[in-house]
Amino acid sequence: MSVFKLDPDVYKRYKDQVLELCNSFQRIDRPGLSDKQIAERLGLDERTVTEIRCVAERDCYSLDEWEKAIEFKRKATLEWSALALKRPDLKPE
Amino acid sequence: MSPLPPNATATLKSVALKSGALVCGVADAAVFAARAPEKQRPDDLLPGARSVVVVGGAQPREGDWAATSPWVLQTMGTTERIQGVGRRLAQYIESELGYYALYVPPGTASGDTPFLSLMLAAELAGLGSKSLAGPVLNREHGFMYWSAVITTAPFESDRLEAEPACPAPPCREMWEREGTTPCLKTCPSSEGGCLSGKLENGRAVRTFYDAARCNTRVHTHWVGGFQKVLEETLNEPDRDRRKMLLYGDFFTRSLWAITYSSTNIAQCFECMRVCPAAHGLKEMK
Repeated sequence: MSVFKLDPDVYKRYKDQVLELCNSFQRIDRPGLSDKQIAERLGLDERTVTEIRCVAERDCYSLDEWEKAIEFKRKATLEWSALALKRPDLKPE
Repeated sequence: MSPLPPNATATLKSVALKSGALVCGVADAAVFAARAPEKQRPDDLLPGARSVVVVGGAQPREGDWAATSPWVLQTMGTTERIQGVGRRLAQYIESELGYYALYVPPGTASGDTPFLSLMLAAELAGLGSKSLAGPVLNREHGFMYWSAVITTAPFESDRLEAEPACPAPPCREMWEREGTTPCLKTCPSSEGGCLSGKLENGRAVRTFYDAARCNTRVHTHWVGGFQKVLEETLNEPDRDRRKMLLYGDFFTRSLWAITYSSTNIAQCFECMRVCPAAHGLKEMK
C-alpha cells in the first residue's frame, strides 16, 4: 500500500485544463469549479483531479517567482515605512 | 435535546469577548450552500450543523505595519491568539449547552484548500465584507484574524454587514484621480502581481486574482517554498551546490517558519499594509 500517486502523463495532459477550471485564477465572470465538477467535465475521477490541482498549483510558478516575492515585499515594506514614519530616507532605491 | 436558553446567543458572544475576541457573530449554517463549494460547507464537516460561530481579533499593531522588515509582520500574525478563543467557544458550547461543536482547524483539507473558508464565514456572520484585495474587513477594526466553530446549536444568526469597509473614502478619491486604488497599485496583475479590479458605483469589484502567485508571496518561506527548494536540490547533481541550497538562507528560513507554523503562515501583507480600511494610517508618537 502506498500513497496515491498521480501518473505524470495524466498530470501533463490535464494540468492546464484543471488550472483553468479551478479557483487558482479567479475571474469575475468565471467562478471556479469544485474538484468533483471538474472531474465530471473532464471525464476523470475526483481524486485524480484533486491531485492534479494540488500539484499544478505548486507547479505554476518556478522558484524564481518565490525569490521575486522576497524583493517585492522588501520594497513594499520600506515604501510604507517611509510614508508611515515620515522618513523619506527609508525609501528603497 | 432541550432547546437553547433564550439568552444563549448573547451569553456566547459575551464569553467570546471576555476570552479575547474583538468581534463575534453567528452565521446560519444553511446559507453556506449557495456560496461555498462542496466539501467546504458546515454540514459536510459536521452533519446536522445549524450555526457557525465566528470570532475575529488579534490583528497587527501600528508598529508592526510600520516596521521596515516584511518578516516582522509575519511573526506578528498571531493567529494563535484568536484560534485559542475559537477552541474555548467549542468547549463552552459542548460543556454548557450540550450541543456538538467542531472547532474549524486552521490546516488544509486538500492541497492549499481550507476545511471551511474562514473569510466567507466571517462575511456570513455579519462581521465584515470582502475587500478588493481579498481579505474580509470589519468596518470598525479593519483587518483581523478569524476563527470559527461549527455547531448543531441553533444560535440566532446575524445579518450581513450592510455597508462594506472597502472601498474607503481615500480609495474612492484615488480611483477618481488615478484609476487605481492602493491595493491594486501595490500588487497589480498587469505588472507581475496578483490583483485586478475596479470601483463601480462606489463598490469594489475584483475582476481577477492570481491565487498561485499570491501563494508565492504569502507562503514564500513556508510549505510551497520548502517544496520548491527541495525539488531544486534533488535535481542538483553537484554535492557542494546541494549543500548551498539546503544550508542557505531561503531553506533555513522556510524551516523556521514551518516549525513555528501557527505564527508564520501569512507572510505577505502588502495589499493590506497600504489599505486605509484595513488599519488606516494612525500616527503614533
